[in-house]
Amino acid sequence: MFQPASLKGDSPTPIDENVRKKFIPIYLLIIILSFIPVSIMEYYFILFLWRTPFYLIFVFLFPFNLVLMIYLLQFGAILVSFLFLKIANLILTPTEGIFERNLKDKNYFFWNLRNIIKKWPLFIMASNPLPWFKNRFTLRFFGVKIGKNSLCDNTWISSEFVKIGKNVILGMNSTILTFGIEQDKFILKRIVIEDDALIGAKCVLLPGTIIKKKVQLGAHSYSDYNSILEEDRLYRGHPAKLID
Amino acid sequence: MESEILDKKVQIISTSGVYKTPFTLIIILQLYIGLLITIFANLWYWNNLYYYFTNQIIFPFPINDSLIERILFICLIPFNIYGCVFLFAFSIILFSVVIFKILNKLSPSKEGNFLRDSKEWKYVHRKFWTAYFPIWLARALPLPWADIFAYRFFGLRIGKNVVLYEGYVDPYFIEIGDFTMTSLNICIFSHLIYQDRLFIQKVKIGEACVVGPQTIVAPGTQMEDRAILGANSYTSIGQKLESDLIHVGIPVNIKLPLQSVEDSQQKVSKIKDTSKKMED
Repeated sequence: MFQPASLKGDSPTPIDENVRKKFIPIYLLIIILSFIPVSIMEYYFILFLWRTPFYLIFVFLFPFNLVLMIYLLQFGAILVSFLFLKIANLILTPTEGIFERNLKDKNYFFWNLRNIIKKWPLFIMASNPLPWFKNRFTLRFFGVKIGKNSLCDNTWISSEFVKIGKNVILGMNSTILTFGIEQDKFILKRIVIEDDALIGAKCVLLPGTIIKKKVQLGAHSYSDYNSILEEDRLYRGHPAKLID
Repeated sequence: MESEILDKKVQIISTSGVYKTPFTLIIILQLYIGLLITIFANLWYWNNLYYYFTNQIIFPFPINDSLIERILFICLIPFNIYGCVFLFAFSIILFSVVIFKILNKLSPSKEGNFLRDSKEWKYVHRKFWTAYFPIWLARALPLPWADIFAYRFFGLRIGKNVVLYEGYVDPYFIEIGDFTMTSLNICIFSHLIYQDRLFIQKVKIGEACVVGPQTIVAPGTQMEDRAILGANSYTSIGQKLESDLIHVGIPVNIKLPLQSVEDSQQKVSKIKDTSKKMED
């Protein structure tokens, strides 16, 4: 939507500083590999059309070239990070649970690693100026299930353990967090949003929330850990409580 | 249905969302026109540069070959790029404003609530998608006044010296007075999607208001002059915020009086004095 650059609908991916420093080469490798399809396309575009009779055709095709460039870069980034993610998942499959917030804990370390791998495609997804193939398309590659006709382009959705049904409306700037940091514990838990739910602007869903069908969650409220919102009811507050 | 939307149950929810329609393809047209205008405005410049580096001509423009011109052309590249960015953004803004005005003529925008797939629903979506890309561009430009200009072009009444950098603002039915400040991460909605209904009501923000950080201004809100909406709160549909008061609450239900800094300091010193006497 008309978000300024600071409020793009990126995924929340805080990464531990030690992991961030160590794995810069992998991050750069993903960026470089994702530029390969774009550069091949540009090479042939210029090779075939930058000649004496074709200059005007080059000029008239340039806008389409730009749109293609944006999407090829995005698809390339998604594919490369998808492959890296598969390798990381072979070593350790992502599981829910409560872990130590310490790099010696394998689950916490691999969660950070997965976030580094996903960072670049998620960044491109959020800064894409065109409204097609954005959040829903990209997040589906990383295992987030999002149904038909649900609006999720202006929300911060975590890229793991999320399931969203059909016809869901997620409000402006609301956040879906499947991870929580409580002192020295690190929590990963699934969030399920069923069909026809309506979630207001600036809501925060904490890990373990289950939102049943046709639930309405008022604006500016947050749901507590492991809370279950019952079918066809209205909730709001800090944390969300049943109103009607 | 009108009464149900104005009912308290619904006032609590304020969601904004707009569905993608086939009309969204207008963004490709806007991009095409903007890029063609910038490229054609630059043909002679790039032609000259190409000649200076390779001694070949792409397009038959007259070329003066002298050392001063060569140096000038290379030194002025940064200004040319900056000019290109402006030309691109503003040509797209002007083009889409024309389309926006035509859509307004075809179906004048109305307040009220509309069913899904009614004529108003369709036209509101069309207007939204015409305004989407130009405002995205204006927001992406590194200049604070570009987005205010874009909003004014689309027909919002925005006064002078308005602070409007970091927040979502709808492209229709919003009025903002002079010297108003809006803070970080705010949403000003004039539309609301509720089940299969679309609800539109005008938002009016007076002069010298302050809209605090993390707030939501719901459709139909009327802020009088010098009213203040506190941080982390949101208004309900059709609410009136009185002038010279601070309004806080989720949704707004508390009024606090304004205080000058001297007054509050005097009060604090009084409290300190009494507590000291108590200790003694």
